Amino acid sequence: MIWFLLALHAFVVVALVAVGGRLGRRSLWVAAVPMAVTALWSATRLGSGDAIVTGFAWVPGLDVNVEFRVDELSSLLSLLVSGIGALVCVYAVGYFSRTATSMGRFAATLLAFSAAMVGLVWADSVWTLFIFWELTSITSFLLVGFKHVDPVARIAARRALVITAAGGLSLLAGFVLFVDAAGTARLSDIAPITGSTANAAAILILVAAATKSAQFPFHVWLPGAMAAPTPVSAYLHSATMVKAGVILVAVIAPAFQDTDVWKPLGLSFGLVTMLWGAIGALRHVDAKLILAWGTVSQLGLLIALLAVGTPKATFAAVSILVAHAVFKAALFMVVGEVDVRTGTRNINDLSGLRRSMPITFVVAVISGASMAGIPPLLGFPTKEAAIEAALGLSGAEFWIVGGLIIGGSVLTVAYTTRLLIGMFGASAPMPEHDVAPRRPAMSAPEVVLASASVLGFVALGWVTGVVRPAVVTVAPKAEVYSLLRWPGLTDAFVTSLVIVAVGAVFGALLARRHVVTGPVARGAANVDWTIDGVGRLARQIAGRVQHGSLPLYLATTVLVICAAAVPFAGQIDADTLYWWDNRAEAAMVVMIVAAAVSATQVSSRLGAALVLGAVGFSVAGLFVAYGAPDLVLTQLLVETVIVVGFVLGLGRLATTFPRPTRLWTVGRLVIAGAMGSAVAVALAGSAGNPVGEAPVRELAETAQTDGGGKNVVNVILTDTRALDTLGEVIVLMVVAVGILTLGTKRRRGRSPAVPGSDEPAGIAEVAR
Amino acid sequence: MIASTSPIVSLAVRAVTPVALVVAAYVLFAGHNQPGGGFAAGLMLGAIIVLRTVAGIQQPRHATVWLSVGGVVAGLVATAPLLWGEPLLDQVVVSWDIPLLGTVKTGSALVFDLGVVAVVVGLVIALLDGLDATSLVDRGRQSSPDDLEASP
Repeated sequence: MIWFLLALHAFVVVALVAVGGRLGRRSLWVAAVPMAVTALWSATRLGSGDAIVTGFAWVPGLDVNVEFRVDELSSLLSLLVSGIGALVCVYAVGYFSRTATSMGRFAATLLAFSAAMVGLVWADSVWTLFIFWELTSITSFLLVGFKHVDPVARIAARRALVITAAGGLSLLAGFVLFVDAAGTARLSDIAPITGSTANAAAILILVAAATKSAQFPFHVWLPGAMAAPTPVSAYLHSATMVKAGVILVAVIAPAFQDTDVWKPLGLSFGLVTMLWGAIGALRHVDAKLILAWGTVSQLGLLIALLAVGTPKATFAAVSILVAHAVFKAALFMVVGEVDVRTGTRNINDLSGLRRSMPITFVVAVISGASMAGIPPLLGFPTKEAAIEAALGLSGAEFWIVGGLIIGGSVLTVAYTTRLLIGMFGASAPMPEHDVAPRRPAMSAPEVVLASASVLGFVALGWVTGVVRPAVVTVAPKAEVYSLLRWPGLTDAFVTSLVIVAVGAVFGALLARRHVVTGPVARGAANVDWTIDGVGRLARQIAGRVQHGSLPLYLATTVLVICAAAVPFAGQIDADTLYWWDNRAEAAMVVMIVAAAVSATQVSSRLGAALVLGAVGFSVAGLFVAYGAPDLVLTQLLVETVIVVGFVLGLGRLATTFPRPTRLWTVGRLVIAGAMGSAVAVALAGSAGNPVGEAPVRELAETAQTDGGGKNVVNVILTDTRALDTLGEVIVLMVVAVGILTLGTKRRRGRSPAVPGSDEPAGIAEVAR
Repeated sequence: MIASTSPIVSLAVRAVTPVALVVAAYVLFAGHNQPGGGFAAGLMLGAIIVLRTVAGIQQPRHATVWLSVGGVVAGLVATAPLLWGEPLLDQVVVSWDIPLLGTVKTGSALVFDLGVVAVVVGLVIALLDGLDATSLVDRGRQSSPDDLEASP
């Protein structure tokens, strides 16, 4: 079933890419099908008690396997991922107008992202997880940059990709170290590890999770990602993309629990992010940005709870993860609907929408209240569990973690209040006619998600029955905990009451304060400056290195080869050197040297080409003297073609060489001499230092038996070492394609150099 | 300066073409037991194409066809053994009894060599095409060599 579902995703993605353009918005319905099927199947797996395991060896030699495991935790997560995905597809049908273009591409990308996410939560091998992790980075890049004609979206997508891809590299390094330290790549087999390797792996994996889950200071990509269409935001930033890091931390935490760095680093990431995100949410006026920063804050809370690592905290984290997916998706949908129907998301311009958008208002209040942790909604018992876990700590942890989580919760209530008042409060109701009519496709998923927040509280026993076994897969001691509808007058409950009261007052006060514009995203600007700076630097370096002067290229290449020959000098064994095998060789060498020297003196280009040809033909003569007919034949043919090629090429150049400067004449002599000496030294060095017996007899025998031919050289080419020949064939093809491209470009009349640019021609060509 | 309008050159190249083709074919088949092989055969065909281009008999065209056919053939021969569970590039030797020629031994290496031939021919054509040999030839015919000097 796992394979069937993944294949179904892949098939529908391909189909949508192929025919989605003709389906228009209907392709979103098509994309919803695999998601809905996956969600339903995941729902049947919930609490079933047994895990489905499947996989195959991918690279047996490296012990890299593709493995999936659908257990209580991964089926719960895939239910969230696919279920909310299907709802988002329905929502997107309403969100996009009838005339929206590229809907096939959108649906295909969204489904591809969903598939990557499902693969990620089902993965049981770290390598499988890594592959799907990177797939989510790429597909989310495409989703964030969906409006690719908009430079803001492009830059935001690039920022998200650079940060999450850098995290991906960190993750790969972390996994390599992790597998080295743990001795297994299977996530369900992990046991606590310690030591310096484990520490390094812990840091790398935490950083990776922090980039994906938008932890400070890597959070800067998330608010920028709001440039995406709202359905994307509702999906990526509620149940999926940003949760990938949290899920990774949750499943791998048991391994690193005992390392020195895991907890402090995770707590620092989480707590700082939680506060900074909440403060950001309070400062912005764009409703979507408020939610984005709120998401950053919630992710910080999740990472902090998982880093605390007590079974209670892990239990609270997974519960909040579920509740957050539900209410945050609904809130993003609400903001998207407000945006579509009023044309603005600025809470300064919005007001009194509760009358003109009653259904949306109810959804927003329910989901917002769930986010703030107010009963009777799913957010309340989960928040309660978090506070309970925080209060259960002792010593310094109690004061720092507990205090900050409570502080963060106050701010959460505050920004929720401010957002709701800003959009729906009635300081001066917006005129009815400014609000476009309702679109059922948008309302339906919102209502479903809001109902889920309510029903989750009503059927809290069932939710506990689903969440608890999921938590037990990563924290076995968590089986004693439950989500409580009415905890009684415990410390945690009293704390909650205080949090809600203080936060609501604070938020209401802030809502009255008029903020004109939100803060400038300085962190994002710094990231963009860095990315652009790297590009500028690369262009400058390339401009220096690729200067376009052929003689200098040649000189550089030759000098590097000379440097490589230096180590051979020490290996020359004078006893192995002798003058010649027979006199004919000497005669040929004299001819070669004479032709080569005269090539440097000829002033006519044609003459030089012909003298070079003479060098080549003399070399063929040398091969004759050696008795190597194959080489002779090939050398003669190559030389013929080269000479003709030279002659043709010379048609484009002046007939004589430009008069060289004195320095350059000397320089050429030195370089040519160095190259000749280097080759001689390298050959003499390797001749004096043979490695074993030359495999002549072996090759000759296998040529007869395996290759069925008497010409050993050719059997080597076509059979014994045919892979080399295949490689050469590919090289020839690449060269030919290069020649054709250059030739075609020139003929189309494009001038190779950009006017007024100091960049050499080659770079300008590549840059285009 | 390159091209010759001389009918002697043109006729000679025309006359030598079939001979060169036969020699190239011989070199290709001989390669198994004697000097020769795909690379040499390809170069020989390439040389005759160069001559024909310079003599103005034909234009260097279809480089991509030669290249892609050659690449695909060589690639297929290389990977086909994988289908039968044999290692990459494993060679199959066949001998046939053909009237007049006697027993002919050949194998998949010959097909591989054919791919090499096509790629080499494609490369030579690409070179001629990239150097814009035809226009050089034409210009050589129409103008005195001095006009060519100031080319950039």
